[in-house]
Amino acid sequence: MDQHISSTITTAPVALADRIKSIDAIRGFALLGILMMNIPGFGINNDFWYPLVTGPRQGANYYTFATVFTLFEGTMRGLFSMLFGAGMVLFMLNKKDVPGGTTVAEYYYRRLLWLVFFGLVNAFVILWQGDILFYYGLCGMLLFAFRKLQPKWLLIIGLTCVAFAMIKREWNYNEFRNKRAAYTEAMQAKKEKKELSPEQQGAIAVWSNIEKNDKPDTAYSNLNLRKMRSGYGTIFTYFIPQNAGFEISYMYGDPWDMLCMMFIGMALFGWGFFSNKLKTSTYVMWLLIGYGIGIPVAWAIFDQSWMSFGSPGVYADTWRSSHGVFSELRRIPITIGHASLLMLVFRSNIVPWLMRALANVGQMAFTNYLMQSIICTFFFYGYGFGNYNKLAFHQLYYVVVAVWVFQLIFSSIWLRYFRFGPFEWVWRSLTYWKKQPMKK
Amino acid sequence: MSLIPSPVQDTVAPTTVSGTTDNYSSIFSLEVVAGLSLFGMLLFNIWEFGGFTSNQQLFYQEGPHGGNYKLMTAVSTLFGGKMQALFALVFGAGVILFLQKKEHPVAISNADAYIRRMIWLMAFGVFNAFILLWPGDILFHLGVMGILLFAFTRMKAKGFFIAAIICTLVYCGKQYWNYTDDKKEYKKYTAVMAVENKFKADSTSRAKKDSVDRTKDTLLLKDTLLKNKLTDSIARKNDTLTKKQAEEKEGWEGKVKGLKYDSTAIKRNNKTYRASWNKVAYKLMSRSQQKESGWLYRVGIWDFGALLFLGMALLSIGFFSSRFSSSRYLIIAVFTIIAGLALAWFRINLQNSKLEDYAKYIDKKAIPANLFSPIETILMATGYVSLVLWLLRMKIVGWLWKALASAGRLAFTNYIMQTVICTIFFYGYGFGYFGRLKQWELYFMVAEIVLVQVVFSVFWLRYYNRGPVEWLWRCLVYRKWLPNKKPSSETQHPD
Repeated sequence: MDQHISSTITTAPVALADRIKSIDAIRGFALLGILMMNIPGFGINNDFWYPLVTGPRQGANYYTFATVFTLFEGTMRGLFSMLFGAGMVLFMLNKKDVPGGTTVAEYYYRRLLWLVFFGLVNAFVILWQGDILFYYGLCGMLLFAFRKLQPKWLLIIGLTCVAFAMIKREWNYNEFRNKRAAYTEAMQAKKEKKELSPEQQGAIAVWSNIEKNDKPDTAYSNLNLRKMRSGYGTIFTYFIPQNAGFEISYMYGDPWDMLCMMFIGMALFGWGFFSNKLKTSTYVMWLLIGYGIGIPVAWAIFDQSWMSFGSPGVYADTWRSSHGVFSELRRIPITIGHASLLMLVFRSNIVPWLMRALANVGQMAFTNYLMQSIICTFFFYGYGFGNYNKLAFHQLYYVVVAVWVFQLIFSSIWLRYFRFGPFEWVWRSLTYWKKQPMKK
Repeated sequence: MSLIPSPVQDTVAPTTVSGTTDNYSSIFSLEVVAGLSLFGMLLFNIWEFGGFTSNQQLFYQEGPHGGNYKLMTAVSTLFGGKMQALFALVFGAGVILFLQKKEHPVAISNADAYIRRMIWLMAFGVFNAFILLWPGDILFHLGVMGILLFAFTRMKAKGFFIAAIICTLVYCGKQYWNYTDDKKEYKKYTAVMAVENKFKADSTSRAKKDSVDRTKDTLLLKDTLLKNKLTDSIARKNDTLTKKQAEEKEGWEGKVKGLKYDSTAIKRNNKTYRASWNKVAYKLMSRSQQKESGWLYRVGIWDFGALLFLGMALLSIGFFSSRFSSSRYLIIAVFTIIAGLALAWFRINLQNSKLEDYAKYIDKKAIPANLFSPIETILMATGYVSLVLWLLRMKIVGWLWKALASAGRLAFTNYIMQTVICTIFFYGYGFGYFGRLKQWELYFMVAEIVLVQVVFSVFWLRYYNRGPVEWLWRCLVYRKWLPNKKPSSETQHPD
């Protein structure tokens, strides 16, 4: 994602080259990992989870589901966000203003505006509803003001964002429980054959609606399936209002999810976490702390919260506070655990070829991210090969592995001949509004 | 540091607006325009503060067009959206002025100071909307737009003009798009109604057959009637609208109902606002959220974008520094205001036919009433600016311009103060006058506030360099306690 890195690589001291490779390797890992979370969105109808959470806890589908959602859900996005924050600092670090010319800050904002544009293209033209570029571009515009803060303060701000997210979720869950309480009271009155007030009738209607929404809506699922297996024009128009809705509600309603990780990433970068500067024992410690806290919490959330989809009433009656409130306490430690593990593998030099390959993927992360959208939409959607909803849940991960292998090989070959990935080159040329050199 | 970077010299830390005398002389006229827009906005905003709700407006629009209708149409034509546009325009010009600054009270780059300003502005906007409870807040939006447009600020005047035109056209296009969506919805509704009418016709024809059968041979009668009953019940079962059809029908009917005056809504609305802070805050939350998210995403970007770009363009060509001849300002003013009013006349006519019969309007009219409203707004705003600049050059009523400029220099403070005054006066946790004043009485309220704010601004600026909120903003941006007092030689009561 950061093309400037490759451009400075030749002139940079060895330590710098080393440090950049570690960042690229983590970024490559995160990029490939993100497909694990995205693949259901590309390839399977939205009611896929219902049999998984209500059916027996066994079989390939269940185990895949459990693994993916405990170990990886949100963490790949998290790693990506952290590195985006770090990359932002890097972009500003490596450049000096030329007096009278366009300032680095202006290039930075142009770059992000183009990122927002690519995000819109990814969502509305390539038709990937799970696009993140749009949000990253906008969040990056806020990060700018914080780039010179000390890591300590960045961490505090990051944790404040976590607190915001938690408070918001707790608030929402409280509203949810209030609705449940009003419903229970109304039902009690009904049982006692009392006449119901309009409020009580309303409470029953509201809760029944929640129950209904927690069950798969067959009519909607069928419609969705039909649309996704249609031509480009149909899916294009089908997605316009949906994409707009996502972009509005996520950007405004839950930027904390991204911002907290970006700030924490900036802080960790400041401390030299990603640049391979810390002691091995420190990485081991963070690995143990991260997984030690994160995985049990993740399992509890998966076991109690995910698996109780479809029975919101039981959930609301059982839990005072929602598991979702603590999802950041799962996500952040596991993300840091993943990052520490990677750093340890990277410095131990066990699999240097794999790290090199990952670094290549990471160096052209932007291209690879868009390429995942292009490959998967063509593989699954109706105007391509039309495999939408034709694979079982666990089979989707065969596709994931195939894309991984392809991207690892493609990136390594491409970077042998060119300085940037193709989309990086376009992005860079647009940012500087000038055709950039491409060949090595 | 107000919305317009101030020329005032700080005794401790000078903040000079750099450069050209051109920009320097722009500041006074920008402050005058800011002052004007501040009070003009209130004329329109007071409707929402005071409970002259859109429902209430429908009552006058749909009834016989009396004095109330004329008054509200005049206010909305002359001020509605146009004064807010002036405010945005000044803000856009201020962006360029600020980025030309050479010095700051602390060592910091222009970009850093600028972005921090915008982020704090967003925060003030959130405060204004969710704590002071003004869902019509635009500070948040201006902050967001300031950040989004930062990448464009190096463009030349021509670039700004083109960008303004593009934004306006996109905005118009969106209005048209919404209209075609309504058209589609209406078509679906008519299709559903055709189905429903057929069901009704079938049912009457069955009933007819039944009644004819009853007059026939008595021997077979029992069987025939039984059979009739059976077919009828089967048909009835099949003859209900599908869920989708029912939704389409309800969707349209809801839309039509929303355009009709609802006498019960007044009571409900009054109850909402004449309540404790908690309750009002809870009720208004989703509205403010919607305005800061969905509205901004769909409409606001283009609306504010066009105006900010225009402001930047006008500043770049030296429009605010009275660079052109007086007659040119007058010509521009007359031309744009007349063109704007013509578009307004067109819009109001279509609007009225829309309220008369929405179905007919959707079915028959080729273009929606609000199609050109973005152009109308931008024309009128340009016209007002030109008019003000022409009047400034005529050098008449100098005291008025000075007073307006004082209020305009404190634009940020005064904008927030308007929220404080109006919410306390109208909402339930204050005096609870919401919905209790007639339309014309609301305008007296506006006059009162204008008077208070002008006097306050003039006096405040005697002793201080910047308004209290401007000063707070500045301290937050530079993370430093900055002096605000004027040198003691000017103050009457030195400490």
